[in-house]
Amino acid sequence: MDSSHGQGVPAQESIDQVQQASLDTTGTAIRSIWSRILRKFQAGSIERRILVGFCLVFAGILVISAVSYRNMTVLLRNSHQDTRSHELIQLLIGMGTRLDEAEDGHRRYLVTGDESYLKPHEILKERLPEYLRYVRELTHEDPAQGERVALLDDLVQRQLDAERAAVALRRETGFEGVRGIALAGVAKGELDAFHRIQTQMEQDENRSIHRRVIESAAMTRNTIVLLGTGGLLLFVLLASVYYLIRHDITERRRVAAELARRGELLVAANKELEAFSYSVSHDLRAPLRHIDGYASLLEKSTVHALDDKAKRYLQTISESAKRMGQLIDDLLIFSRMGRQEMLHTRVDLDQLIASVLHDLRPDLQQRDIVWTISALPEVKGDPAMLRQVFSNLISNAIKFTATRPSAAIEIGSDQRNPDEIVIFVRDNGVGFDMQYAGKLFGVFQRLHRADEFEGTGIGLANVRRIIHRHGGRTWAEGMLGQGATFSISLPTKR
Amino acid sequence: MTVTKPILLAEDNPRDAELALAAMEEYHLADKVILCHDGAEVLDYLYCRGQFKTRLQGNPAVVFLDLKMPKIDGLEVLRTIKGDTTLKPIPVVMLTSSREERDLVESYALGANAYVVKPVEFHQFLKAVKELGVFWGVINEPPPESTGKSAS
Repeated sequence: MDSSHGQGVPAQESIDQVQQASLDTTGTAIRSIWSRILRKFQAGSIERRILVGFCLVFAGILVISAVSYRNMTVLLRNSHQDTRSHELIQLLIGMGTRLDEAEDGHRRYLVTGDESYLKPHEILKERLPEYLRYVRELTHEDPAQGERVALLDDLVQRQLDAERAAVALRRETGFEGVRGIALAGVAKGELDAFHRIQTQMEQDENRSIHRRVIESAAMTRNTIVLLGTGGLLLFVLLASVYYLIRHDITERRRVAAELARRGELLVAANKELEAFSYSVSHDLRAPLRHIDGYASLLEKSTVHALDDKAKRYLQTISESAKRMGQLIDDLLIFSRMGRQEMLHTRVDLDQLIASVLHDLRPDLQQRDIVWTISALPEVKGDPAMLRQVFSNLISNAIKFTATRPSAAIEIGSDQRNPDEIVIFVRDNGVGFDMQYAGKLFGVFQRLHRADEFEGTGIGLANVRRIIHRHGGRTWAEGMLGQGATFSISLPTKR
Repeated sequence: MTVTKPILLAEDNPRDAELALAAMEEYHLADKVILCHDGAEVLDYLYCRGQFKTRLQGNPAVVFLDLKMPKIDGLEVLRTIKGDTTLKPIPVVMLTSSREERDLVESYALGANAYVVKPVEFHQFLKAVKELGVFWGVINEPPPESTGKSAS
């Protein structure tokens, strides 16, 4: 590095650094904006991404079409102007020839006095306005050429005037009077000027033509490049959109296949469960029957030999076997409730409750119960299953008020929420501690000892399972010693 | 009441068989009971073949069929009986532990005359078997075809 620029170099470097830094910031900014756009795009749903893709393709087609249209217009205009230029050149050449012929004929007349030589002059005079109008029309877009046309007009008029004057002189004075004019040519200067201007105009037009040819070539090249790159871009865009759609379809197919596979697994699992419960129902009962049966046979054959204690033992064996049989039966019903096909019909709850109460009559003997049953709405569901629900809830209420001298059971509904119908069964029985409320609806969950209240603990689990299958909810409120309220909800729309 | 025709009991479980026989004993029907331990034995008896080759001709008064049995199960035996013109009149009572709906439906579809679920409680089991034995073995009049056959 040159030492004489010792002081300048760090300054230069710092400027470079500043520029570099500013370039870096711009680059980072662009990159961050780009990555933000990309992130936003990727975060969008597949539909949105496809829409954006198609919008870009559409916009691309619009831009290409607009630019191509403009280029094509320019090409057409140029070609039109070329035609006019060629016509103008031809016209000017024609006019020049006419002028030459007129001048030539006129001189011949001056020499010979033969009137027929004046014919070109007459023709020129006659056609001149037409020529001039045409020339003006062809040049009206170009002011410089327009000025020249005015000059031409003037020159031609002067030539014609001079010729006319010479012809008049010849008629008056004969050949001698016009000898000089005939030899030199009456409008030689004007004619030369005309040809000069004509040449200038021709050159001008040729230059214009050349310029337009270059312009047209450039336009054509632009159009081709635009169509090429635009087409390529559109192709890439469309390919991306296609990829997106295809990817989406593949993904959906995969999900559908996965769902189908899981459905099959579920069906298989269900079948297995069915086989299991069948086996339970058939094989587990037999040993229980034997236990009870042989205990009974033993009791019978030793009826006089056994003391009371031994008899009580045998009794307990029998009772345990029976209880287990009951548990198995309940479990099977519970399992069947989950698998059984469901009906969906209108169920008249008033009628259903009445029939449940009719069936529970044996439990109501020697009981003093005050019933408060409101009119209940019609609901949609499986009649047999809903019957099971209310049978369980009401028999629970009867059971858990057994210790009350005066039992009160209320059945009512709450339809404040239009989306669901709530039906509750309230009793003033032994109630329960709210901290165990979550356990109430579990399978074989009991809050009371078996010697207090009988039961297997499956009833409320069945209630919950049935109501869940109907799309509803179950809950309970209560207080120890203060009674309990069991509520179920059924959706109004399914 | 005299019982001339045997009662065929198909029961693979010896304890169930013993309990059933104990129940029949109460009405002195036990000696009329022929016990088969699987479906194949039931068919051997009905077609007088195998160990029953030399038995007295004639159809039983009733067949008590368990559903789940080794070799040939109850439904298969039922299908064979009800598909055979000479065996078809024999009353068949399904005596089983299963309360499954499809077993019930299939049994009746195949032509079972009754379907009884064995109660777990012995006293009820006793009662059920006794009543079945008395009804089908004594009270019920068997079809004449089988009577005619046994006379020949």
